[in-house]
Amino acid sequence: MVATSHDVMPDIELYQPTDEANALSLANTLGKDGWLVGGGQDTYGWLKDRNKTPAAMIELKQIDSWKGIKETPTGIEIGAVTTLTEIANSTLVKGKFEILSKAASIVASPQIRNVGTLGGNLVQDARCWYYRRGLDCYRAGGNICYADSPEGLNREHAIFGASRCVAVSPSDTAPALVALDATMVVSSNAGERLIPAEEFFVGPAIDIVNMTALKEGEILTAVRIPNDWANAEFYWEKVADRNVWDFALVSIAAVMKVSNGQIQDSRFACGAVECTPRRLTSVENALQGQQRSEGLAEEVSGLASAGAEPLNYNHFKLPLIENLVKRAVRG
Amino acid sequence: MGEIVRYKRDVWGEEVILGVSWDLLWVVAVSILVLLAAHAIIMAALANKKIDKPSGDGARVVRHEAVDRWFHWVMAGSILVLIATGVAPIVGLRFAWLELHWISGVLLTFITLFHIVRSLFWQDFKSMILSPKDFGEPFDSSLMPGKYTFEQKGMHWAVTVVVLAVIVTGLLMFLQIDSPFWERTNSMPENQLGLVFLLHGLSTLALVALASTHIYFAIRPEKLFYTRSMFKGWISEDEMKANHNPELWVPKQAD
Repeated sequence: MVATSHDVMPDIELYQPTDEANALSLANTLGKDGWLVGGGQDTYGWLKDRNKTPAAMIELKQIDSWKGIKETPTGIEIGAVTTLTEIANSTLVKGKFEILSKAASIVASPQIRNVGTLGGNLVQDARCWYYRRGLDCYRAGGNICYADSPEGLNREHAIFGASRCVAVSPSDTAPALVALDATMVVSSNAGERLIPAEEFFVGPAIDIVNMTALKEGEILTAVRIPNDWANAEFYWEKVADRNVWDFALVSIAAVMKVSNGQIQDSRFACGAVECTPRRLTSVENALQGQQRSEGLAEEVSGLASAGAEPLNYNHFKLPLIENLVKRAVRG
Repeated sequence: MGEIVRYKRDVWGEEVILGVSWDLLWVVAVSILVLLAAHAIIMAALANKKIDKPSGDGARVVRHEAVDRWFHWVMAGSILVLIATGVAPIVGLRFAWLELHWISGVLLTFITLFHIVRSLFWQDFKSMILSPKDFGEPFDSSLMPGKYTFEQKGMHWAVTVVVLAVIVTGLLMFLQIDSPFWERTNSMPENQLGLVFLLHGLSTLALVALASTHIYFAIRPEKLFYTRSMFKGWISEDEMKANHNPELWVPKQAD
């Protein structure tokens, strides 16, 4: 089905559960027919364009237990329906994990951040315009990728890890959470399961129609960030065509433990280069135990783009990712 | 039950074939299960009337050369991997299946080519040809087959057609993904691509049915000596005489 924007919502059931059990029960009962809504910023376009046609929406923002930021003995826990503005402004987040605060503060626009939630930002669907247009591409259950075709426009698409589909992870907060080694709390009627952030995002080789490990009936309810990287050295940068209301062309989230100029440990993750946030483990390994310097930054930057397979129009992402790594290492 | 063929709109808004409806997978699975269960029940009911079972002891004759046994098992492995990796995402299992799938497909292609060449020049190709008189074999117990029974020939040719269809359509699909050998062009017209997906899907369904049937017969008690021969290469002379016409099949003595 090709998109036709009606600019109005379709006739659809709306459920507004106020407690966790009710929401999980609805998600379980409705299955694929129940569309989970946080702030709705990824939802309304799909539904107005009639490209996704669920029978019902389950709005999660009435559930207080899934809101807010709290300190725990091992770190902090952020409810999945906490708004991005709250995260960006939180003194607790700023005090320990400023990188997440920065990432949240640059998502889309102030209006969107005021209603958009952390959970919504993390589980939002691919932003490939062929897919969003409603074409039956691989990601939509079809048998072709329009973006990676002779005339396909793929400037924003993947340079790593494409498998038939070349869409990238559009989330700004995801690379920060992968770098911080966060854990996703996923709930369902069957109970709770904890998924490391790095494993929460799923590439097309494993599942071409879903971008996360969430199964039918499951809801991302919270994100836990361990104290392991609290107050480490952080570097966050998002390169986009516009500073406001745009998705990243490439983003980088780097956390480093540095002592007397020596990098003891680090975690680097990039956004918008692969269908999942991309850990730069080769860069991390090369940095381990090294004295932070311009030369080191230059030396390791090439590792970031090693193995990249750019498409027709996105070769520019190679120097971009290398330069972002350089800047992160320089600090 | 829904459709057989799935359709979609192409980039120009025209309706084109998308592929086979995977609802048919369940239809095939249930149908095969019912048919094989019915066969098992009927055979169990008739089993009491059977009297002599040929002995596996004594002199042995060669049924399958080592190279042909290897071919059979490699082919069986690759087909099972192809079915498992192809069907898994359809039934909702998540893992990186595509590489395993095409590697098995390439393996199947090469061993099939090997088999075609070997069967044409080094094997007794005529022993596998289905002639009109073979069709009377199931209905007349006095008609003893040569090396291969009517059912074995039928299975072989059905598998031949289906495997060739899977290979040809699979190779066309392989060209649509990046591989170590090429970068995809992704330029096959959508209507042709849909037809390829449809034929690949239909031949996959047929292969599921044939593989299930083949495995079922391979483990039936009265056919186990054939399965043993696919491991060890021989059947006994007693088994040969009870099931084959020595005038039509003159095998070598086994060591």
